[in-house]
Amino acid sequence: MANHTTTEASFENQPTWAGGRSPFNVSYGKLMMWIFLLSDAFTFSSLLVQYGTQRFSNVITPITTKWPDPASIFNHFPGMHGFHLPLLFVSVMTFILILSSVTMVLAVEAGHRNSKKEVAKFMIYTILGGLAFLSCQAWEWYTFIHEGARLDGNTFGITKQGYDHLHSVSFGSHFEWEVGDRTFGPVPFAALFFIVTGFHGFHVFSGVVINVVVYIMTVRGVFERRGHYEMIEKAGLYWHFVDLVWVFVFTFFYLI
Amino acid sequence: MEFYNKPGEYDAINYIPHTESHGTKELWKTFWLLLGITLFDFMIYFVMPASGFRNFIFIFFGLVKAYFIVGAFMHLKHEKISLALIILVPTIFICGLIIGLLYEGSALEVMKSM
Repeated sequence: MANHTTTEASFENQPTWAGGRSPFNVSYGKLMMWIFLLSDAFTFSSLLVQYGTQRFSNVITPITTKWPDPASIFNHFPGMHGFHLPLLFVSVMTFILILSSVTMVLAVEAGHRNSKKEVAKFMIYTILGGLAFLSCQAWEWYTFIHEGARLDGNTFGITKQGYDHLHSVSFGSHFEWEVGDRTFGPVPFAALFFIVTGFHGFHVFSGVVINVVVYIMTVRGVFERRGHYEMIEKAGLYWHFVDLVWVFVFTFFYLI
Repeated sequence: MEFYNKPGEYDAINYIPHTESHGTKELWKTFWLLLGITLFDFMIYFVMPASGFRNFIFIFFGLVKAYFIVGAFMHLKHEKISLALIILVPTIFICGLIIGLLYEGSALEVMKSM
């Protein structure tokens, strides 16, 4: 890029959009990461739009319970078999992801102070958080498939009787389905769950891989020699985006 | 403005703006806010019966959480306003698309039962 370099003085005199400078005052890599995240946001939005339309065209009402009630399916907790514990496990997963987001941002902050030791420490915490989240999701998928979730069918539809049964049990009490509680529901239910949580899980996985690479680079002193820890910021942007997507997956798949 | 490049030379591709630590106070505050909102969601889920208003509360707090993650964790609050706008404006249109298609989905439900 030697022929593009110019003296700082003449650069300062350039108008903002005349080229040859960063009008947003961010580095090239960081700007490209933002552009990538924007396009990734479009991808997730299209999936959520598809899910929302399917969901709202199969509404849960006490008379025709077509779309399965998330509380009736995702009500398990490891080691607590047979108990009705809706939302508890995903809340733990959300907590893990928020916590790993904080350790990531603490790594970025340590990077601003050029503290190699602290960056490495917080990157390890972030990687562990990501792995813990992935393990939770693996357990969640295993339980869901074990219960009979398939891509080409849905046996989680609830009848009026099942709806009343489900809403008569309180949080933490023993719960088992009775004959006539369940029926066939809309086919895309499990497929959409697997596609959206799977797509998110794949992002978490690639985020963990990126974090491991950045951790190794930190420990080997690559950023120390470079004089700045901007790579941690770029990895951090990606990691926070994964957390951001989870906020909406949590809202639309479990809360609503 | 400080640069990591050699003095007197400016290279738009390898340009890295100088950054400084703003401390960890704001970050921990954001963490407790996110945790608090998540616990509030958890509580509302069991206290309120399912309704359109409850869904509205969940989506509203989802957007509040998104604001704190993007603003504080992803540092967008401290970036140039032009950068924040090119990222945020398209997503506002997407929110509009989602709301519109939810209405269309409800209409589809009515059509199917006719």
